[in-house]
Amino acid sequence: MIRRRPFTSVFLLLLLALLGWIWHERVNLQAFPDIIAAYTAKEYCSCRYVENNPADYCRGYVKQYVPTSAFSDNPERSEVIASGLGRTHTARWLGDRHGCRLTP
Amino acid sequence: MFRGLLSVALLLVTVTVTAHAETWPDKDWAKGTPLAGPAVDALNAYAFPPRDDTSRKGIRTDALLVIRDGEVIYERYAAPTTVSTPHLTWSVSKSLMATVLGVAYGENRFKLTDPAARFYPPMKQHPKVTMADLLHWASGLDWQEDYEYAPLKSSVVAMLYTRGHADMADFAADTDAASAPGQVFRYSSGDTNILSATLKGMLGHKAYMSYPWDALFKPLGIRSATWETDGDETFVASSYAYLTARDLARVGLLMARDGRWGEQQLLPKDWVAFNRQPFANYRGGQDEAVPGGHWWLNKGAPRPWPDAPGDTLAALGHWGQALYVMPAEHLVIVRYGDDRDGSYRHNDLLKHVLAAVQP
Repeated sequence: MIRRRPFTSVFLLLLLALLGWIWHERVNLQAFPDIIAAYTAKEYCSCRYVENNPADYCRGYVKQYVPTSAFSDNPERSEVIASGLGRTHTARWLGDRHGCRLTP
Repeated sequence: MFRGLLSVALLLVTVTVTAHAETWPDKDWAKGTPLAGPAVDALNAYAFPPRDDTSRKGIRTDALLVIRDGEVIYERYAAPTTVSTPHLTWSVSKSLMATVLGVAYGENRFKLTDPAARFYPPMKQHPKVTMADLLHWASGLDWQEDYEYAPLKSSVVAMLYTRGHADMADFAADTDAASAPGQVFRYSSGDTNILSATLKGMLGHKAYMSYPWDALFKPLGIRSATWETDGDETFVASSYAYLTARDLARVGLLMARDGRWGEQQLLPKDWVAFNRQPFANYRGGQDEAVPGGHWWLNKGAPRPWPDAPGDTLAALGHWGQALYVMPAEHLVIVRYGDDRDGSYRHNDLLKHVLAAVQP
């Protein structure tokens, strides 16, 4: 089999390795798409409402190599919502001492 | 004649007393003679080169503050950071938590040899890990401390943003052991957040929520501090304390003067000695400086920062945040930044500051 179909065999082996890796990293892979939205919401919230920096500065500050698809900052509720890689997360400013936190 | 002698004597007494008097910040810092000269120009050129906010390359200092003998001798900010910006300190927070714990230590709330599980039950999974092990970043837990370059495997990213953010200490305590406690240095934000949770266990939730202010910030006159908490209302001691540069320098002065603030010995001297003692099982080159008791040290041969004195103590954070303390030089330096690459060098900044303060 390996001798007659060397490319198919290598491909199948690689596929098997990939599936094994996906299984091994399943917890991390499932959480991975959440990072960019959660990071953007939380760090923008703190940049804006804890550090009191201007909104346009904070948008640049949180920019990463993974893009975000939607973003909203609601000053009257001190709430920041960000989306990216199909996930959406919200951070809220709680007060002077305790700053911002991701909502559950 | 006699009156003349008396006034000379009085004058001498006054001069002597003044020479020995220490300057402490009150509501604000006293101002010393501002640094000037070519060495200061070189310092400015190093720390504040023209800034490119699109590429975000190079050294990007947000704030630089130098205190000598309790007086401000250099202070500069880059927009939008100002004198009143409570800047994110990232991992400088870890050494702040160590300082808060130092006050609790002085109140006999724990011993360094106590197992963390005594104050934080989820650590029963790792019953032999002591407070000293956590303070040395030597819990032995299999923690992955990487930020944006390896986000998939990063324990710290998972803790702050995904699987851990609801209860960071619990997330950290849930990590498997990789080595025996106290044997191997492995820098870990998880270890610090477990420390934060042990403090909650010592104090109870209500007292804990105001403890950093009651124990440390208010006695030092710090009014700008924000310390964010996780979903379980545990301070994110690994990452999320915010202070103005001037307020962070107060913590530096406390450490420069051996834990004493004015007349009050706020931190026990043996606590500060523990902070300053290199972790015995650290191997040279494992990190950018030598870990002491949750502070960074300039010890060993060669020293991590060869141009800085061997008694330099530092609190260091992601993207270039730093508090440097040089007790023998009577210097405290706060540097905030937004460095997105590796251009910034602690040794280079310290070399420039030391050259600029020469008389």
